[in-house]
Amino acid sequence: MFRNIWLKELKEQLYTWKGTLWLVISSLVFSLISYLLLTDKELSLLDQTEMMWMLAKVIIGIGLLIISIDASSIISNEFEKETAESLFLSPIKMKDFVLGKLLASLSMWFFIFIVSIPYILVTSAGTKLFFPFLIYVFLLGTIGVLGFIMLIFAISLLFRSSKNTLTTSLIILLALAVPSLFSTTLKNNSFANVLSKVNPVDNIFSSLDNVLVDYQTSLLQNGQFIFPLVLFCLIAFIFLVYASKRFKRAGVVKHE
Amino acid sequence: MNNTKRLLILGVLGSLLILGMVYAYAENQTVSQPLTISIISEKALSGTAGDFTTVNAQISNSGSQPLNDITTYISLVDESNKMPVDLEDWSAEKGLFIGTIDAGQTLPLNWKVHFVKAGKYSLIIVAETAGQEMPQVSSIVYFTVKPKLNLNPGQVLPVALGTPIFVLFIMLLLNYRRNAYKSN
Amino acid sequence: MKTIISVINLTKSYGSIKAVDGLNLEIAEGDFFGFLGPNGAGKTTTIRMLTGIIEPDDGKITIAGNIYPNLKPILNMIGVVPESRGFYEWMTAKEYLLFFAQLYNIPCPHKKIDELLGKVNLSERKNSAIATFSRGMKQRLGLARALVNDPKILFLDEPTLGLDPQGQEEIQNLLKQLNKNGVTIFLSSHQLNEVSNLCSRVAIINKGRLVAQGTISELQKKTNLAGSLKDIFLALTNNNHV
Repeated sequence: MFRNIWLKELKEQLYTWKGTLWLVISSLVFSLISYLLLTDKELSLLDQTEMMWMLAKVIIGIGLLIISIDASSIISNEFEKETAESLFLSPIKMKDFVLGKLLASLSMWFFIFIVSIPYILVTSAGTKLFFPFLIYVFLLGTIGVLGFIMLIFAISLLFRSSKNTLTTSLIILLALAVPSLFSTTLKNNSFANVLSKVNPVDNIFSSLDNVLVDYQTSLLQNGQFIFPLVLFCLIAFIFLVYASKRFKRAGVVKHE
Repeated sequence: MNNTKRLLILGVLGSLLILGMVYAYAENQTVSQPLTISIISEKALSGTAGDFTTVNAQISNSGSQPLNDITTYISLVDESNKMPVDLEDWSAEKGLFIGTIDAGQTLPLNWKVHFVKAGKYSLIIVAETAGQEMPQVSSIVYFTVKPKLNLNPGQVLPVALGTPIFVLFIMLLLNYRRNAYKSN
Repeated sequence: MKTIISVINLTKSYGSIKAVDGLNLEIAEGDFFGFLGPNGAGKTTTIRMLTGIIEPDDGKITIAGNIYPNLKPILNMIGVVPESRGFYEWMTAKEYLLFFAQLYNIPCPHKKIDELLGKVNLSERKNSAIATFSRGMKQRLGLARALVNDPKILFLDEPTLGLDPQGQEEIQNLLKQLNKNGVTIFLSSHQLNEVSNLCSRVAIINKGRLVAQGTISELQKKTNLAGSLKDIFLALTNNNHV
């Protein structure tokens, strides 16, 4: 049954201009950034591996931003557009509802990833890092996006408002993304170190640095970054389960 | 000897002393001048943005005394914008230290420079000797860095232009097919 | 006649407001049951509790032998036209019904959907986006969706709201036909003419409490009024009558 919800959401993304716009904007951003980076590389202002690392961060950053916007409304819209009641009057289960929507949001990330493949190819030309680049952007991006989707879904089930969910999600994303942009000098104290180790965005960027700049491409060498990401997903999942239970207790339709 | 004669002798001696001191002072100033710096790689200085080149120069001590603790460095000015260039961007920020240069000795100086931006520039080399108030500078060398005109670095243009167009095409095709289905 | 819906002492509060207060109802299989009340009387809250959308605070609900909270099995045998009238506006009418047919695992859904669209007079617009539908067309589509799983019990919350007289008559005829075929219908409506035309039995609720229940002649006897359902309704719901 979750497949029906998944397909419905996918179709909505593809047939309304929402999905088109996001994918075209993503590819335009990737085009601009990769052109700029390759021009800098031509001028020897940038090492190729540094260039690849920057592009990898942009791909995942764009993915996280677009998915945050999508996930903020994909559940809340059912309540705002008053379609939730009809849906829950069918034999659909809560877990199918959430799973279908989760897969739809994740699918949007997959589309963004597929759009990024030509850029990954062209920027890694001449190195042996095309496959590690591709695999780690996919792996880290998917785990990171999954965690964010579950977190945002939980917020959505509690707020039932896309505006409030979107605002909260973007604040969380900014709060996690901004410290990861600080230079290593600014992160040279124990407090910043601890924050860095638990921050999922920081872990994604650090792992990409490890793979692309330091050539540490094995999973074992990146375990220290992947493990906190998986933990983040687990915490987000627990929060989602809690929010689902609260939602069921409050009822599909809240008394106004 | 009467007092007048004594005074005269003292006056002459005093004048000679003052003259000697002035001469010695002037001589001292002239002693810092024996350092000459010349840039010998003027032709290598022209290039294209993105290139790396080496500025070759030499420093000579044409004086009669050795000179110690000399620091030499490059100074670069953007003639188009009339402002000094940040040498760190050009990888030329390092100073070269000379412990001692003997009298009559000539030592080589070289800096690797990365042409970062196109434009017109002027370059001098400065040498500061410890204890001396006035640095020694080379003559100014003017050079031009040509812009790198590659519109398709790393063959990115087909991807950068083609991918958004392709994505838009696919999405439009999907929507067209759906609309065609709806009207049937 | 076998009781298909039984409600005993049903209660629901929202804070200090008692939306439904000790409601007792009995609906027999095959009944065409009218559920009346002024605005805010608790009609929609009652339907939502019966269909499992919200949890009651107290009381017992039995539907087709299933006792609350185990009402999940009834979802396959009920159809509901709820108060919320939202649709997936980007879908066509056919896509919309197909989506719900797939949720119910209806075999050969395309044929079924074409039949339903014919019954609600939307065949010509089956491939049009719902966003282009009028209010009345959306009402009819909502009814078609409620019928997609061939329900045994139909809960209708103002099904003819927004329809023109012709549209209302078409729907009423459809409902009569369904009831004739054995479908139990629970109709909540403000259209007193419609209720008196269609319903065999009626319940009137006011401020969350049942005011009266029975056939129209039983209600006339109770109120000592020989008038229409409207007169009975007004008499029973005016001045806080409980």
